[in-house]
Amino acid sequence: MLIRWLAAIAAFLAGALVGILIAGGSLTDYDAALGAFPLITAISVVAGIAAYAAVEYAQTGGFASIASQFGTRTIVLMPIAIAINIILGQTVAAALKVPVYLDSIGTILVGALAGPIPGALTGLLANLLWTYVLPPPFHSDFAAPFAITAVLIGLLAGGAGRFGLLRPRPDRRAGELIAAGVVALVVVGGLALWTYTQFYEQTFTFFNPEPEGDPGALLVLVGWVIAALLVAAVVGFFALLFLRRDASVAYVTIAGAVTGVLAAIVSAPIAANLFGGVTGAGTDFLVAFFRQQGADVLGASFQQGLISDPIDKIVTFFVVYLILSALPRRTKARFPQGERLLDEQVEPGGGDDDAEWRGAPA
Amino acid sequence: MARRTGLNEPASGGRGIPGSLGAPGPSAYHRLNPLTKAVLATATAVAAVVIGGLLGPAVVVAVAVLLPAALAGVLGRLVRTSLLFALPLAASAFLVNLFFFPNAETVLFRIGPITASAEGLSFALEILARILAIGGAITLFYLTTPPASFVVDLERRGISPRLAFVANASVQTVPAMVERAAQITAAQRARGLDTEGSPWRRVRGVLPIVGPVILGSIAEVEERTMALEARGFTRPGRRTLLWAPPDRGAERVVRWLLLVAVVAIIAARLTGTWT
Repeated sequence: MLIRWLAAIAAFLAGALVGILIAGGSLTDYDAALGAFPLITAISVVAGIAAYAAVEYAQTGGFASIASQFGTRTIVLMPIAIAINIILGQTVAAALKVPVYLDSIGTILVGALAGPIPGALTGLLANLLWTYVLPPPFHSDFAAPFAITAVLIGLLAGGAGRFGLLRPRPDRRAGELIAAGVVALVVVGGLALWTYTQFYEQTFTFFNPEPEGDPGALLVLVGWVIAALLVAAVVGFFALLFLRRDASVAYVTIAGAVTGVLAAIVSAPIAANLFGGVTGAGTDFLVAFFRQQGADVLGASFQQGLISDPIDKIVTFFVVYLILSALPRRTKARFPQGERLLDEQVEPGGGDDDAEWRGAPA
Repeated sequence: MARRTGLNEPASGGRGIPGSLGAPGPSAYHRLNPLTKAVLATATAVAAVVIGGLLGPAVVVAVAVLLPAALAGVLGRLVRTSLLFALPLAASAFLVNLFFFPNAETVLFRIGPITASAEGLSFALEILARILAIGGAITLFYLTTPPASFVVDLERRGISPRLAFVANASVQTVPAMVERAAQITAAQRARGLDTEGSPWRRVRGVLPIVGPVILGSIAEVEERTMALEARGFTRPGRRTLLWAPPDRGAERVVRWLLLVAVVAIIAARLTGTWT
C-alpha cells in the first residue's frame, strides 16, 4: 500500500523534474519552465497514476484498489458533482464579482468520498463537458483548457480524504487544538512565505513604498488592507478552532491552502498564454492591479492566482467539510473512502474503523 | 467504420430512441459525425492560439468556423451566441491588456492614473482574436451537434459505458438541479426567506437554498444506485447501442489530416522554422 503511494509520488516528482529540465529550468531556477507548468503537470500526473497502477499490478496481479473506487455509487455521484461544479461556477462567475470561483465543490466532494482517481476524473469530465457537451445557458467555451487544474484538485482532494484530513474531530482538548492550529499556521505561513519570495518580491513591496506618488500610496493602502485581512483570518481561524473545538478545522485549512497554491501554479500559465492573464471572473481587477505595479503578463497571472486560488480552495474545502458533516454517517460510510470521513470518537472501535467495516458480514 | 453499414442509416423515430437523436440534421454539416466536428473545433482553437497574431486566427476562423457555419445555415446564431458567451472574457481581456500592459512605452491616451499604450492595444487585439476564435469554434460545434449524439458516438468507439452514463447524466442533472433550486427557493420564500433585500440578506439567503439542493441531491444517490444495479448496470461486457451517428471513411481521413496539421503547426512554431 505504502509502496504504491511512494512509487506514484516518486514518478510524479521525476516527471516534474525532467519536464522542468527539458523546458530550460533547473531545480533552483525554474523561471524558464513556469510557462510549461500545465503540460509538465499533465505528464507527471499521468506518470504518477501509471506508476501506482504498475506497482499494484506487480503486487497483486490486478487493479482492485483503483477499481473499487468506481462502484455504482461513485458513478451516480459524479454527474451530481459535475452539475454542482458547473452551476455554482457559472453562477458565481456571472453574478458575484468576487475573487473566488467556487467551481470545484463537486470535484473535492467526489475526491473525499470516493478517492483520488474518481476525483481527478470528475474534475476532468466537468471541464470537458462544460465546453463540449452541455448546452447553454450552462455552457462555457473556455473551461476545457483548465481541465488539468481540475484533475490536480481532484487528486489532492482524494489524498486529503484518504489521509483523514476531512474526518471530524470534535470536542478535543485545548492542547490538541493548539497543536493542530500551530501546525496549520506553520504550513500556511510557510507556503505564503515561499510564494511571496518566489512570485511577489521582485515587483511588489508591501509597506515599503517607492517614492512614486500615487501608485506607492495605493500600495501602502493595499498592503495595510491585506495585513488587516490576514490578522482577521488568523483570529477567525482560531475562533473557529476553539468555538467548534474541532481539530479538523486546522487540517481542512491546510488541505485548502496546499491545493490552492498548486492549482494557482498550474492554472496561471494557461490563463496567461491563452487569454492574456484574465479569466472573465471577478479576479481580473487583481490582474490589472498587479500589472500596474510592473508585473509582466505571466507574473501578474501568478500573483493573482496565488491570492485568489488559496482563498477559493480553503472556502471550497470548508464548504465540502460542512456538506460531509451534514450527511448521515450511513450515507458517507457506503462510499469507497467514506469510512475515512467518519467521526472516530462515536465509534467504540476507535481509530480502527477500517477493520470493522471490512470485517462486517455481507 | 463505414463497413458497419447499419450505422450509416440513422433509424429515425425508432423505438426507444429520443427524437432529437435519430433525426437527421437539417444540413450536410449537421450530419457530419460528431467526432469530426469536435476535432475540427479543437483543431481550430489550438491552431488559432499557436499561430498567434491577427491575420492567422482571422483566416483560420473564416475557413474553419464562418464558412461551415454559413453552409450549415447557423451563421447568424453562431455570431450572436459566441459573441454573447465571449463577451465577459473578451471585454475584460481587452481592457486589462489595453490599459495595463507592462513596460509599455508608446502612450495612446491617459485616464487618470492608467495609461492606454500602443503595445497594449496590439496585444489586446491579438488576445481578442484568439478568444473569438476559440469561442466561435466551440460554438459552431455545439450549435450543430446534439449533446447526446456525441456521447453515443464516443461510446460506440469504445469509451466505457460508465463514462458515457456520467456524461449523459450530467447533461440531464444540470437543468434538474436548477429546477430543484427554483422549487426550494419558492418553498423557502413561502416560509419567509428574504431573497430580495440588501446584499447581506441575499447572501444569508443562499445557505437555506444551496444546502438542501446539494444534500437532497446526494441523498438521491442511494435510490439511483439501487435502481441502476437492479437493471444490470454493473454487468460486464459491452452494451448494444440502438443507434449511433453515422461515420464515413472520408471523415476519418479528414480527422487524421486535421490532427497532423495541428501537430505540424505546433512543431513548426516550436522549432522556429516559421513564425
